[in-house]
Amino acid sequence: MKMNRAVLAGIVLLLIENGVVPWLVPAAWSDRLVPHLTFILTLYVACFAGRHRAFLFGLGFGLLGDLLYYGNLIGPYGFGMGLIGYTAGLAFERSIPTLAAVIGLTAIGGLALNTIVYLIYRLFRLTQWSYGFAFYWYMVPSLLLEILAALVLYLPVRRFLFRQSASSGEEPRV
Amino acid sequence: MRNKRLFILMIGLIVFIAVMGFTLGRTRLTWPEKFMNDAVGTVQGALYRPVGAVADFLGDLGRLSDVYNENQQLRQTVARYAQDQLKYNFIEAENERLKNALQFTENQKQLYHYRYLIAQVIGSSSNPFDQTIKINLGSRDGIKSQMAVTTTDGLIGLISHVSEFTSTVEPITQLSPESPQGVQVAATIFGKESSSFGIIDSFDEQTGMLQMSKIDENDKMVKGDKVITSGLGNVFPRGIMIGTVENRQVGDFGLTQKASVRPAANFDHIREVFVVITPGMDGP
Repeated sequence: MKMNRAVLAGIVLLLIENGVVPWLVPAAWSDRLVPHLTFILTLYVACFAGRHRAFLFGLGFGLLGDLLYYGNLIGPYGFGMGLIGYTAGLAFERSIPTLAAVIGLTAIGGLALNTIVYLIYRLFRLTQWSYGFAFYWYMVPSLLLEILAALVLYLPVRRFLFRQSASSGEEPRV
Repeated sequence: MRNKRLFILMIGLIVFIAVMGFTLGRTRLTWPEKFMNDAVGTVQGALYRPVGAVADFLGDLGRLSDVYNENQQLRQTVARYAQDQLKYNFIEAENERLKNALQFTENQKQLYHYRYLIAQVIGSSSNPFDQTIKINLGSRDGIKSQMAVTTTDGLIGLISHVSEFTSTVEPITQLSPESPQGVQVAATIFGKESSSFGIIDSFDEQTGMLQMSKIDENDKMVKGDKVITSGLGNVFPRGIMIGTVENRQVGDFGLTQKASVRPAANFDHIREVFVVITPGMDGP
């Protein structure tokens, strides 16, 4: 994994997430479709570069997002993305995931992240929503969009961020 | 080995809970936060505005057929505006004369001379629980926290955090009686300013309505009335459109009544906003 490029791609994705995606989403859906593109990249980092780098990557970009759009508190996404990056790294470390694995990982990871963030906001009494409503209101729509984004990013990530080893038998260098 | 991992996870959890608790309801930013906000904000602005322009252009192409009707309506509005302007000039002159006759102090005279600073939106949050937007004006331009932010349609929010070149706007859709900032907007009815009063203190996501509470039983507000800010307390400017009354019912304890207010402003796809600067806040 080329970490320099990955970080650069993360910054670009962060800018796209908050600058371009809001314009692509129809106005009626703008508070329901909130994909986290840096989170998807964190999952790819977990697969290609291992759990420790995924942890740092998720923590960094999660905190950056929290900081830039600081409303009530800083940290939910930093915590969630760091934790899930590490966990995904434990499960999928150093393997080139198939498309099916990417879909499964994004679905489970995205749901876990949204649940963690929801629970944190619930803990601090910043939201009155029931879990069922939050699930129906934004988690499922965003999740579908995130899976789509993960599939779109799959080839670019493999081509530009992943360093192919010379011989196929060798383990990919990180 | 496994224990070490668990131990680190627990320490991380404790640290994060502490950070979240510490940053809860804080309005001041430290310099690293300001620096990150300004650095990313500048780049973000260069991306958000052109994309918005393109999206608007494509949207306009689809609306070409409506333009004729809209033009017709605007002409009527302009005609009415010209009449109102004449009336307004007379009333303002008379008001000025009366203020002088009553020996208003300079502060009192300047009380309602608001300044509107135009700001470009440079990004919007992807956190469903903190739907903040960023604008490209900061403390350098005289922005302070708790200032009102409007569009041409009506009130959209309050400034929540200010850094040097950018600031964060918390939309009124985030209002909640339990939020740590606890912002409440004093409101009244357009045309019944002296007899109506209520407090906008929360937003119901499921119906998309603002909730107005503490309305007197004998209040004459009815469905369809326009709700505006009252400006009582002089922190918040007066006469900013908030929305229209949708329904009214008896409040939680039966002593006062509450009403649902449909917001006038559109909170999606905003490109430009106005920050209202009241003279009391930055000195006349």
